[in-house]
Amino acid sequence: MDVRSNRREQGGSSAITANRLLDGRTVWLGAHGWSEQIAEARVIANTDIEAAIEDARARAAADSVMAIYGVQLLPDTATPEPLTMRERIRAFGPSVHPAFAISPQEGQRHE
Amino acid sequence: MSDTATRPLPVGHYTYDQVDHDFLRARVEQFRDQVARRISGELSEDEFKPLRLMNGLYHQLHAYMLRVAVPYGTMDARQVRMLAHIARTYDRDYGHFTTRQNIQFNWIRLEDTPEILEQLASVEMHAIQTSGNCIRNVTSDEFAGAAADELVDPRVHAEILRQWSTLHPEFTFLPRKFKIAISGSPHDRVAARFHDIGVVAKPGPDGAVRFEVFVGGGMGRTPIVGVRIHDHLPEEDLLAYLEAILRVYNAYGRRDNIYKARIKILVQALGLDAFREKVEAEFAAMDRARYRLTPETVAAIRARFGTPDLIAPADAPAKLAADRAANPHFDRWARTNTHPHRAPGFICVAVSVKPAGGIPGDATSHQIDALADIAERFSFDELRVTHMQNIVFGHVRQDELLALWHALGEAGLATPNLGLIGDIIACPGLDYCALANARSIPIAQKISARFADPTLQEQIGRIHVNISGCINACGHHHAGHIGILGVDKKGEEFFQITLGGSAEDDAAIGQIIGPALPEDATVDAVARLIETYLTLRQEGERFLDTYRRLGQAPFKDSVYATA
Repeated sequence: MDVRSNRREQGGSSAITANRLLDGRTVWLGAHGWSEQIAEARVIANTDIEAAIEDARARAAADSVMAIYGVQLLPDTATPEPLTMRERIRAFGPSVHPAFAISPQEGQRHE
Repeated sequence: MSDTATRPLPVGHYTYDQVDHDFLRARVEQFRDQVARRISGELSEDEFKPLRLMNGLYHQLHAYMLRVAVPYGTMDARQVRMLAHIARTYDRDYGHFTTRQNIQFNWIRLEDTPEILEQLASVEMHAIQTSGNCIRNVTSDEFAGAAADELVDPRVHAEILRQWSTLHPEFTFLPRKFKIAISGSPHDRVAARFHDIGVVAKPGPDGAVRFEVFVGGGMGRTPIVGVRIHDHLPEEDLLAYLEAILRVYNAYGRRDNIYKARIKILVQALGLDAFREKVEAEFAAMDRARYRLTPETVAAIRARFGTPDLIAPADAPAKLAADRAANPHFDRWARTNTHPHRAPGFICVAVSVKPAGGIPGDATSHQIDALADIAERFSFDELRVTHMQNIVFGHVRQDELLALWHALGEAGLATPNLGLIGDIIACPGLDYCALANARSIPIAQKISARFADPTLQEQIGRIHVNISGCINACGHHHAGHIGILGVDKKGEEFFQITLGGSAEDDAAIGQIIGPALPEDATVDAVARLIETYLTLRQEGERFLDTYRRLGQAPFKDSVYATA
């Protein structure tokens, strides 16, 4: 996938995202590995994010993920929320199919 | 063995022979091995990506996306049911019809893909050349072989081009992707002038088929209307001449800059005359006997197409007239969603896959199955996907049109808006596409909901609203009477409006009218553009006609004076 949305704001924080190899789904790097729920993502200061991305990329094959990059987060949210529309759609699902959405509150994918 | 020996030839498309079946089977096994090696880690993503793309497997925002080729847009009911099965079994119950007359599945798992391709192969379908810098799926007129205004049925030649271009060894790694469309009607329904090559078949003075050839058209970052490079190409030279064009492009097309790599840039850089000289030189130097398209070859391909038995009861037109007179809703739909057929007692049906407030081109597995059932019952087992993201039944008896309309209604597919403001072309946009800058679908939904009233739509009349989520222009916004382009401004979506585009005989590129607007303001702007048109139009004018007569000023003022 085209890796974009790597804007970094001084003093801000980011999460690390990727896509799973087997099904391509968006995942977020949490304290206990990769999760579909951005609510479980580790919030990493932008001063530390590049090193964390490098670490994650080094483990990509073992973790069966691809296209790893950092996503700038909105400040002061209860759970991590991306800054850009593109990353919000990746995190919470297509805006046009409520049935496919992942709720930011519940952190659950509705099937 | 193929099952073609035991079933009649399908109407409207070529039937595979054993060579075709063997090739596809081998290709599926090759990809199965490639997927296994990717999953095992033997292949990196960088190594695997070109292999999956050659089999139509993209990776988009949420999952893998599989784009299945529908050659010249035509399928039989058995193939359509397979697409419904794939949507139901491997996707989230949807398929998405595209402007290349293909279908995409947005939620595919990598590990399922070999199985999906195997099942597609069982019904003579595949996803080859739906991606990559090769000759893509050849598109054609959605009313091919049926329209009253058609001069030559282009599908046999579309099939010949498909076979010529499939895995063509010289043209697998072109500077950039290459799109060919072919029509046989004087009324351009294939956007011939917006293709790398557009071919229009017509009868010559001696009755033999000749081709008008356009080259160097396209949309994307640099929209250009194609130019006529040949006016009367003999049938026997079709392959040789196209081969010569492709060779010149392959030799001189830019490979150093992806944004300047399409043939349109080369034609503009050289100028048409110099480009034509190079093509003619290549054409003259070729072993023409090797490329000669003989009448026997054309006949052999034609023989693998089924033909419909177009016999209708003598009172079929009278029955249709009576049905229309008795039911105003049916009458409205028949007025907007049909097209004259060449045979007495028959009619072409265009099914809108654009319900008010819906997602353009999206269909559930239930709807796809319903389309297959209707094709089987009413249209010789055949349907076509259109470049407007709709569906066409080519050959429907007029006395059966009411029953067909009822069947469409039961499937939620009887929206009476073909060619009207609700019939919006929209790319998947940022909701699905990894390249997009903005969402296309929500704005399409809001516009179609705003203008949902079918009476209002008919009052507004023929208009094309086209929406793209980025400058790659998959929603053909350059060719929209009203075009909308999504742009990204610091992570937020804005939309640029263009006016005056057309993909038809009067092909033109829409012009930007002013600064980009937020989503809801864009919907309001479209409403004001329509109000302005309704106020200023003269008798019989389409939106495009009024715009061309008056120019941009009154329309621009309507958008920005109050924005």
